[in-house]
Amino acid sequence: MNLSSKLLGIVAVFKDPYHLLRAAGEAQRRQFKHCDAFTPYPVHGLDKLLGIKRSLIPWVTLVFGLAGCLGGLGLQIWTSAVAWPLNIGGKPFLSIPAFIPITFECTVLLGGLATFAALLMFCRLPNYHTRALDKEITNDAFALYISAKEEGFREGDVREFLEKSGAYEIKMVE
Amino acid sequence: MHFFYLGLTALGAAAFFVGLGQDAGRAWHNYLLNYFFWFSLSISGLFFIALSYVTTSQWASPLKRVPEALTGFLPVAFVLLLILFAGSHHLYEWTHHEAVAGDPLLSGKRGYLNMPFFVIRNLLFFVLWIGVAFYLIRNSLRQDRTGAVELTFKNKKVSAPFLVLFGITFTLASFDLLMSLEPHWFSTIFGVYCFAGLFESGMAITILFVLALRRQGALRGVINENHLHDLGKLMFAFCVFWAYIAFSQYMLIWYGNLPEETPYMIRRTEGSWTPVALALLFGKFIVPFFLLLSRWAKRNEFFLALVAVWVLVFQYLDIYWIVFPTVGAPAFGWMELGILLGFLGLFVLSVTAVLQRIPPVARRDPWLEEGLSYHQ
Repeated sequence: MNLSSKLLGIVAVFKDPYHLLRAAGEAQRRQFKHCDAFTPYPVHGLDKLLGIKRSLIPWVTLVFGLAGCLGGLGLQIWTSAVAWPLNIGGKPFLSIPAFIPITFECTVLLGGLATFAALLMFCRLPNYHTRALDKEITNDAFALYISAKEEGFREGDVREFLEKSGAYEIKMVE
Repeated sequence: MHFFYLGLTALGAAAFFVGLGQDAGRAWHNYLLNYFFWFSLSISGLFFIALSYVTTSQWASPLKRVPEALTGFLPVAFVLLLILFAGSHHLYEWTHHEAVAGDPLLSGKRGYLNMPFFVIRNLLFFVLWIGVAFYLIRNSLRQDRTGAVELTFKNKKVSAPFLVLFGITFTLASFDLLMSLEPHWFSTIFGVYCFAGLFESGMAITILFVLALRRQGALRGVINENHLHDLGKLMFAFCVFWAYIAFSQYMLIWYGNLPEETPYMIRRTEGSWTPVALALLFGKFIVPFFLLLSRWAKRNEFFLALVAVWVLVFQYLDIYWIVFPTVGAPAFGWMELGILLGFLGLFVLSVTAVLQRIPPVARRDPWLEEGLSYHQ
């Protein structure tokens, strides 16, 4: 009973990171660009083999941290020295030292929240699909997903190098 | 190269003695400033070794001979401290009996701030520091020959209580040497303030020695950019920590506005000292913060060395800012430069003397293999 479904990609499941790295190396030699790996913990060197570039998250943190810093400081200056000058303990209206703790908190708050939001966005989380590739993916298995859209993708060839690399299970994703 | 540093030392001694004849107060303040600066760099090595043992910092084991060698200046600092005692009359108001007798506040502090107790406790601190440094390094060198793993555990056991004692003794030493320059003033955070500078500048000097050794070949293939990255991260962290502590001290004094606390800050932030205080704010926090922020900066040998020198310059300025307002307006002349160079020569001589006598890598350290293949 063939519903003539189209092949989307191939998932190989490994029991340890060394075989996964070997398979990722093979994929890199074929210049595959859309591979994705799923591991229970960070595996050194994997990002390089998969061609993953440095994340943009630090820049998000920097920009929002600076925005929080300047925004927090500006808000205090505006409220306490411009819009509603209030004499507190005989200090000058524009008392920068008194504003620093709140400026610091605003920096950390905005920077932290933006980092968290950016992490979710860049990692496309929450994600309910990848677990469906193999139920052990979030447990103790190491998986490599190779998309059929890759240039030079031939099912037989990919199956072969995944098997040779030591995959203990290979599944077609349709 | 030895003769160059010997020359610097001789130059510094000459500057100090000529300075004593011209303006003894200024000469002794320079001596104290340099003593505290270089002593902090030296003891930062001991602190770092103990910290690495307690936290099982395997990444640091390939470079641990550098902090070990930094402590080579401690015995020299001990002798320099004995000389410093001779100048205490020029430095510390509380050593003047007439001044203390006529001052109820200073009379009240006489139980702690008196010369015999001052000398005894500072000597005892050195007994602890040199004793622990000797013990840790002797075990480390013995391990080079025997490879005995239990030596690492022995060092761990001594390091943990030492870190606690170090916190107490260094705080008291900074109270004695620097805070008592203004005996009416007190700040409970002062020890932490000095410690923040100690660790930041200690990382800077460690980076410089590690890079110099790698360039000479002793650490080639042993230290990679990941080790530099971690040293840079620690330097960055303590740059921020210093700013946090320095501001905490400043803000509480500024907000409380109490007459027994404010004179210290007024003397150091007003008049001709304003530019120096601002230079510290920018040069010790804002500029290095942004210089070290990116990952690239901490992994680039040349750039990291540049920032390390920058950090050392501003650590010097920080202690200058603590010590010299008791003398007068900021000034930097031949006496400051000469005595600084003299201490630099002495420091480099004593650290390299140790480095030349010990193997540059702790070959049989059980953590070495982890440390060599360190990556992130």
